[in-house]
Amino acid sequence: MWLAVESVKSWRHLLPEAVDRVHHFAQRHASWFVLVLLFLAGPRTLGAQSVDLLIQGGHVIDPANQIDQVMDVAISDGKIARVGENLSGLSSDRVVDATGLYVTPGLIDLHVHSFWGTDYERTSDGINALAPDGFTFRAGVTTVVDVGGSGWIDFLTFKDRVIDRSKTRVLSFLQIVKYGQKGTPYVQSTGNMDPEMAAERAQQFPEHIVGFKLAHYSGHDWEPVERVTRAGELAGLPVMIDFGGATPPLPLETLFMEKLRPGDIYTHAFGGQHDADLTGSGRQAIVDEEFQLRPFIADAVERGIVFDVGHGAGSFFYKQAIPAMEQGFRPTTISTDLYGSSMNTGMMNMTNVMSKFLDLGMTLQEVIEASTWKTAQVLSRRELGNLTEGAEADVTILRLEEGTFGFVDSAGLRKNSDQKLTAELTIRAGEVVWDLNGLAADPYVRN
Amino acid sequence: MVTGLLSRLVMGALLIAGLAATPQDVAAQDYDMVIKNGHVIDAKNGINGVRDIAINDGQIARVASNIPESSAGQVVDATGHYVTPGLIDIHSHNYYGTEPYRSYSNGFSALPPDGFTFRAGVTTVVDVGGAGWRNFRHFKDQVIDRADTRVLAFINISGEGMSGIHEQNLNDFDPKMTGLTARRFDEIVGVKIAHYSGHDWEPYRRAVEAAEMADIPVMVDFGGAEPALSLRTLFFDVFRPGDIYTHAYGGGGSRRQAVVDDNGILRDGMLEAQERGIIFDIGHGGGSFFYPVAVPAMEQGLWPDVISTDIHVGSMNDGMKDMLNVVSKIHNMGMSLPDVIEASTWKPAQVIQREDLGHLSEGAVADLAIFSYHTGDFGYLDSNELLMPGTSKLQTELTVREGRIVYDLNGLAAPLWNE
Repeated sequence: MWLAVESVKSWRHLLPEAVDRVHHFAQRHASWFVLVLLFLAGPRTLGAQSVDLLIQGGHVIDPANQIDQVMDVAISDGKIARVGENLSGLSSDRVVDATGLYVTPGLIDLHVHSFWGTDYERTSDGINALAPDGFTFRAGVTTVVDVGGSGWIDFLTFKDRVIDRSKTRVLSFLQIVKYGQKGTPYVQSTGNMDPEMAAERAQQFPEHIVGFKLAHYSGHDWEPVERVTRAGELAGLPVMIDFGGATPPLPLETLFMEKLRPGDIYTHAFGGQHDADLTGSGRQAIVDEEFQLRPFIADAVERGIVFDVGHGAGSFFYKQAIPAMEQGFRPTTISTDLYGSSMNTGMMNMTNVMSKFLDLGMTLQEVIEASTWKTAQVLSRRELGNLTEGAEADVTILRLEEGTFGFVDSAGLRKNSDQKLTAELTIRAGEVVWDLNGLAADPYVRN
Repeated sequence: MVTGLLSRLVMGALLIAGLAATPQDVAAQDYDMVIKNGHVIDAKNGINGVRDIAINDGQIARVASNIPESSAGQVVDATGHYVTPGLIDIHSHNYYGTEPYRSYSNGFSALPPDGFTFRAGVTTVVDVGGAGWRNFRHFKDQVIDRADTRVLAFINISGEGMSGIHEQNLNDFDPKMTGLTARRFDEIVGVKIAHYSGHDWEPYRRAVEAAEMADIPVMVDFGGAEPALSLRTLFFDVFRPGDIYTHAYGGGGSRRQAVVDDNGILRDGMLEAQERGIIFDIGHGGGSFFYPVAVPAMEQGLWPDVISTDIHVGSMNDGMKDMLNVVSKIHNMGMSLPDVIEASTWKPAQVIQREDLGHLSEGAVADLAIFSYHTGDFGYLDSNELLMPGTSKLQTELTVREGRIVYDLNGLAAPLWNE
């Protein structure tokens, strides 16, 4: 398997060493921390054996902890209290029977556009971005990453309007353009791309800002890529590239092997045009005009470049994805590129996009990992995307439905399938925020 | 010279193409789309059976037993599915905006419609009371004119709309300005009063006065009063036939009467009120649909006239979910499929006096939905998160708005990728 996300680590040395060491210590000794906390909590926790919520009998897929079997999950005080084969010794007022269902960490969508507003002309702060909560929980998502909605100047508005008001955890890749994803002509001006100020803002809000985004630049010019990676280096964070377009196309090989650093993200992995070299314009796809995976892609994966789906309204084509997957390529992370123009197209939502990759040959475990733990690693937010005891209780219960389904790509073409994932129940920080069929509800009893 | 040669070549090619075309190809221009073999439920036209539907230029062109596939540019096979007029959600909150403390009126509690409508088969929503006469034009500019969903409105009797404490400002309940504004805009189909607290009939009378000026109905969210105001008085002394009582299965407690008393017995006059023409609207919302009210009320014969969501930020993720979930819930509670479809299409169209909507008559705007009907074990929650099991559930397969496919869950209308 050539998906070495571990190489993400290679830029983590840029973090201040002390922070890294504390982080490392906490990781290695997490279970001791929990034990000590339990001890300090005293007899109430240990003796009463009562938890806030108990999920029983579900098939737990938790790649971070190599769990892939039927287990129970106990939640208390908004945290994962226990994960074990049989927790029937614990009592709870709220018991969810997850028999026949899959229990996973809350899904992380690495590519959304959440900086909604009322400006008609703009993507960010505008009507084409979406307030997250109406689209996340019903698709099992508990964390989204707004990629490039705001720049260093309007990040504070974004934080006030969206991050601080959403139940969904909203992280940010800061747009390298200082005004955010304001649309052309703003995104076309390298003069608006200030790596130093972007890095300053990122260091001011490390709990929210987890990377930098470059998007939609058209021009045969590496300057924007260099500026965004410069910001990434200054702040010790990854960058995500939406590679825009150029005449003639800029070579993907140069981007992956020379310009990006290991751990940087190439989104819209199944977008671009397979015939861009023939037409002499646009963006190269990862497959060439013969639908052969370009030879350097394996090297790029080996090098640690992260390939993100970023489906969207115009960035996922079966004619590229099917041959690429047949030739062994796998996306590192699965994401939606959710915004107004994509929400009602073949993209639909996170579980729909995940189902597509299940249909294209990834195992359910791989699909879950690419939407939880791998994404958390790419973000260097290893406290997310797992069900480790003590972690914040973001949990999703999925049903794998059997039947006749159709999935549609960005060209409006369909592929039939016999399986589809649906979110039955979503828990955010211990609170049930979506319950499709009332799994966690008490029955109505007629008086 | 070169141009002349080119144009002659092009003309020649067109001529050859024209000669090669068979009569069927010419006929292929008849319709943009034909939906084949779906079970059509169209209450206005008394249709409840398998039909084909042809669409052209954004309108219903023909509904018949067998419309040839060859006559259409696009064919959608709806075999095994239900085809209905696009649903009309008569209770929605869509005047979203970014102003703090404005709740449903240019504030954070309302939702832009398109992400919540088409996936639930809805093509028309009615924002009830988001805007008052003073900010209606802003609402129209910010939401109505920019949505793909058809957005209609009940104007709030409060000049500032549904924006928190303004709803208590009786001094700003101006029937004349409200009525005049309602007359001026086609999108305004009613007058809303909501959330008023006070043992006082005056605000309700003003809402009716405004509605009379514009010849449109009133919708009442009965707020709260201490002691509670009498439902019977509202229905028989304040309301006119055609006026709407929303949150029909909500209320209870000391501040608002439910339609049943504490023992679950239907209050005097409820069935007579419905007989009189008072419209009972679901308006499910985050706190307005309770099984302990709805179950006995329905058992005693008080069924809803119209089904609606009361969708907003506080209800979208709880037991309400979306229009189709509410429709499925009411169906599971005993209302037949044709009846729940009528209560979310043709009936609401009549209630808001928009009889151009909610049916599939030839010449009508082509707003329609295709639903699959699933049987199995499902669960439905009320506003107290109490669970009632169900055995069926509708799912939106495809939604058409003005002849255009705006949602296609499983690619019913999409060609295969490798063909």
